[in-house]
Amino acid sequence: MATEGRPSAIEAFALEFSGTGGEYFRVWIVNVLLTIVTFGFYTPFARRRTAQYFWGHTVVADSPLEFSVQQRKMVLGFLILVGLYIAFNVASDTGQDTVVAVMMACGALLAPYFWGSAMRFRLNATRWRGVRLQFTASWGEVYRAAWPIFVMALAWIGVVVLGGTFAPEEGEPPAKPDTAEAIMLFGAVVLAMLVSVVCLMRLEFNSKSLLVARGRIGGQPGRWKPVFGDFVRIWLATVGVFIASAIAFALCVALVVGGSFAGLANVKEAGLAATVLAAIAGVVAFFFGLILSTAPARAYREARVFHLVWNNIGVSHVARFKCELRVWRYVRLRIKNLFLTLLTLGFYRPFALVSEYRMKTESVTLHVKGGLNQLAGQLAREEQGLGDALADAVGLDLVG
Amino acid sequence: MPGVRGLWFDGRSSRGRDVAIALHPGRRGPSIALQEAGRDVLAVDHDQVGWPERWSASRAPRKIAVDLREHGSLEVADVAGWQEALQAAGHRGSLAQGMQTRWRVFLGVAVVAVAALFAFYRWVTPWAATHLTRQVPLEWEVRLSNEFLEDLDAAMLKPSKLPPERQAALRARFDALAARIEPGMRRYPGYAPKLTLDFRAGMGANAFALPGGRIVMTDGMVEAAQKHKLPDDALIGVLAHEIGHVLHRHTTRMVVEQGVLNIGFGLAMGDVSTLVSFGGSLLTGLAYRRNHETESDCFALALMRSANLPTAPMADLLLKIEGAPPDAAGNPWWSMLSSHPETPERARAMKAGHACT
Repeated sequence: MATEGRPSAIEAFALEFSGTGGEYFRVWIVNVLLTIVTFGFYTPFARRRTAQYFWGHTVVADSPLEFSVQQRKMVLGFLILVGLYIAFNVASDTGQDTVVAVMMACGALLAPYFWGSAMRFRLNATRWRGVRLQFTASWGEVYRAAWPIFVMALAWIGVVVLGGTFAPEEGEPPAKPDTAEAIMLFGAVVLAMLVSVVCLMRLEFNSKSLLVARGRIGGQPGRWKPVFGDFVRIWLATVGVFIASAIAFALCVALVVGGSFAGLANVKEAGLAATVLAAIAGVVAFFFGLILSTAPARAYREARVFHLVWNNIGVSHVARFKCELRVWRYVRLRIKNLFLTLLTLGFYRPFALVSEYRMKTESVTLHVKGGLNQLAGQLAREEQGLGDALADAVGLDLVG
Repeated sequence: MPGVRGLWFDGRSSRGRDVAIALHPGRRGPSIALQEAGRDVLAVDHDQVGWPERWSASRAPRKIAVDLREHGSLEVADVAGWQEALQAAGHRGSLAQGMQTRWRVFLGVAVVAVAALFAFYRWVTPWAATHLTRQVPLEWEVRLSNEFLEDLDAAMLKPSKLPPERQAALRARFDALAARIEPGMRRYPGYAPKLTLDFRAGMGANAFALPGGRIVMTDGMVEAAQKHKLPDDALIGVLAHEIGHVLHRHTTRMVVEQGVLNIGFGLAMGDVSTLVSFGGSLLTGLAYRRNHETESDCFALALMRSANLPTAPMADLLLKIEGAPPDAAGNPWWSMLSSHPETPERARAMKAGHACT
């Protein structure tokens, strides 16, 4: 290696992604088909194949990433999750409220544990030049980082308790609605919502910083530089983007709906079927509207956070990352992909995923000091797959 | 065999070792042997290797990594040479790999998948629901139904305004009808819930059956029959239909079926889109419900026949409530979105008395 004689020289490697939409479409459609045939039990295999496709086509400093995990463990995790899911459904369908409540409470209390085990599984499954990543946070650290969840829960429990004290006792005639009480309750709800937003911000910051700072590769710890204020600024800007896009969306809807009402005036009578169809179309349009009007803000936040994080992390004193993601270009790509996905009833999704993953990956450059051969692997044991199955169930995608 | 070279990372260091790779055919598939500068450094069995998949027939990644588990990984830049050596050593790819590299394999699996799926949702799910329902205790149905009716009473229904003597007369005929049920008509032989009739106001002209034997008829239904000068046989026919729902345990079966559908479609199609998954589950669920309605119609016809009662008034009542002309033809697309079969067809079948073959 050229760098070995000059340990202080810094080399730059742009991350590459060589997958294509068409190729991944085939991988994906095969996954979908096999999942259908096996009534869902192909899911852990499909997840592994998806991760292997994306990892294997991501080249970091001339070596591809590797998603290395024993399939058996993913299958076991998936089966445990299916068992829990069926038990929960049976309990809720048969009206066993206590069991349902206990299961939900356990799920909430264990959420940080599930997140932690999912992250351990994921980092552990990722290998580069034969060296596994590791997530070394203790459970105490994970639970301490999760404090915003519990504050959020307390805030809403407070609202429910407050509402309960104002409600008339059973058997009592309903009292006249008290204006002061209504205002207090309304204030409490607003306060709880504000607390929730701040908690969500803090939770995102805590989880990302813990993941990087307690992540390790070859004995070298990750380095995390962003501060909470950076995240707050991003969230505030996101609110601005949301308001602007909601206004723009409302204007578009007003134009289109105004036009179609004018058209309706010419139609003398609409049958019952037409009225029902129009109502269904209205409901569907509402949900599409919700997705569409929030899409720019969601994409914007994702891009800003990605840019911030990948510009400010590194591996001990060995490596650091630079990111040149262009935020608005990414937002445009996401909106285009969303439209095409909706138009094709979801069949454009693999193409969308590949193009977004490529734009993000290729915006990152790795700067290494002292050559690529200095990482010492530790023979960490492989993690169990339940964490990943749970992460999948709550929508933490492997790729994204 | 032309030597394929690779870079072996042993998992302890990120420093790669330049090795020659040899693939030896074995009973289950090839195994790997690595040589560094002419010296054997590692041999790994077939089962101990995570063989990388081929993603496409025409294109390969720039480099691939072969997973050697605890022995680290093997990076190969000569991907074409690796594929060739692998094939020469008798490696068989997975079904998934065959499907994504050969269209014929994909189409074959797709055809099998569609046929299996159709068979499963058309026959297996309803059959399984019918049998699973046997295990559901009657007391449990009764308890849930009572709770549900209480909720309805609080939200949408009011006490009936029908005169008590009118209620008593209809209830007497209902009880007489229930007494005519023959053992052969019961879908679940041991299932003998107590059939009761309640009257309520609200929800238009309606009648519904709750699992466990409670049947509710609204004042609107009784008034509709009166307004169109139809005999009470029409109302009795409607009640016979509702008894059919109870004895076939349709609600409980539907809960089981919808559960299977939601889980099945959610797992299978969830990755395409929620819309496709939800739509598939909804349309199939509606198809099951239409089957249930037809089953209840058949039951009603059989019961009315055994009680020597006419079925034409019930058909007329259905048509009047719907406001449909008796010869209207259904729209096959629209009927896919409906929970009941097309009313004119149902009415024709009832009048002819042969809905069930």
